[in-house]
Amino acid sequence: MQKADMVLFDTDIHNEIADQRQLLPFLPEIWHKQWMQAGTGIGMPFFSPVGVLRRDAITESGGTPGSDPSIIVKEHLDLYGFRYGLLNWGRAIEMSIHPDPDYANAIVSAHNDFMETECLTTDSRFRGSIVINHSDPAAAATEIDRMAGRHGFLQAIMCSASRMPFGQRFYHPIYEAAERNGIPIAIHPGTEGRGISGAPTPSGYPTRYMEWHNILPTNYMTHVNSLVCEGVFEKFPKLKFICIEGGISWIPHLMWRMDKNYKGLRASAPWLKGLPSEYIREHFYFTTQPIEEPDNKRHLEYLIEMGGLEDKIMYASDYPHWDFDNPQAVMRAFSPAIRGKIMGENALRLYKVGT
Amino acid sequence: MTVHFVANEASIVDGKPMIVEIQGRSIGVYRIKGELFALHNYCPHAGAPLCKGAVEGTALGSNVYEYTFGRKGEIVRCPWHGWEFDIKSGISLHDPAVRAKSYKVVVEEGKVGIVLR
Repeated sequence: MQKADMVLFDTDIHNEIADQRQLLPFLPEIWHKQWMQAGTGIGMPFFSPVGVLRRDAITESGGTPGSDPSIIVKEHLDLYGFRYGLLNWGRAIEMSIHPDPDYANAIVSAHNDFMETECLTTDSRFRGSIVINHSDPAAAATEIDRMAGRHGFLQAIMCSASRMPFGQRFYHPIYEAAERNGIPIAIHPGTEGRGISGAPTPSGYPTRYMEWHNILPTNYMTHVNSLVCEGVFEKFPKLKFICIEGGISWIPHLMWRMDKNYKGLRASAPWLKGLPSEYIREHFYFTTQPIEEPDNKRHLEYLIEMGGLEDKIMYASDYPHWDFDNPQAVMRAFSPAIRGKIMGENALRLYKVGT
Repeated sequence: MTVHFVANEASIVDGKPMIVEIQGRSIGVYRIKGELFALHNYCPHAGAPLCKGAVEGTALGSNVYEYTFGRKGEIVRCPWHGWEFDIKSGISLHDPAVRAKSYKVVVEEGKVGIVLR
């Protein structure tokens, strides 16, 4: 049952461009030929029999799902009554794992300009993410400085696949810029094992899409672990980090394991001033989709309680991807005591937007 | 309060505790720069023989990517899971609420006494 005053905030909507040519006005001409002929240039070896995009979200003219903002409004925001919908791009996030940082930097900047003028202007409920290239941290910091504070942009987003764990000092310029501009950093999966990123697991490549998709959260564990242990939150105490689409149930396990090890191994991270789990609760947010569906629905809420995470979980739909979560179904997974927080209040507080 | 004399003072040397038994209780007696300290030879975490752990220095609290080595000879690291304890107080380095039991030490006429309540 949805209370009349419950705010619905969707923290993960994937918009797309309808046609490669739409980006050209925002892209230096030197890159036009490559963009038109190669696009993002990031291959995908894993095949899903479902397809990544929802077939029912294909536009009337046969266009890519998410490429017509008016359809996102009508068939998603209006249909479910969202107060806000955060646009996170789709393929543009892949640019961080492109071998050429100059091309990647140009492509993400063009997407950000397109977002500002062509997407966020179409409906007052839309908010946007600044897509950055994490493989060139100095350029990513410059892009954050350029875009943060422009109307409607709430965070910077980057893909979760990378060449190194995200806590390492190579990435710190990104976090410095995010903290300086007062915006969080979000990561999004789906790029693991593609482009110049490492293999999806330390034991190499899973065989098929299902196996690959099952194990994506281990990469999130890698990054959360790294960000805490490397002292990123001691160096950037105001930084918030959002783990989109990486699952929830593993968080208590990682907290307990990190805390246990810290007691014996603290001398190897002497900059930590408390238990690792305290940094996770203080600095991380996690989104719901694809929500875990245990046979006993209460078990998911038990895990949130174990992690002390009820203020840190945010609803996300992943519209228009195949594993979309209907908000009406997701809210039934939680008791009324925490439902409102997860469906909207936690996001309102993190992003500092009004109801 | 009872004092149990367990050793000659000269036999307790820096960096290597003497482990003694008093009323069935195993206790490590340490010397740190001339001062004597005693710890229950029992880790509050999982019951390991704490005083068989290495006597070390450690990384003190520091800024990110800075390393400050200090307290050399004042820390015992439990042989089982590596928890560090301040030999002088018994307090663990990861949480001030976690401590190994420590005992007062007295020296009379060259004899080392452990004070048990």
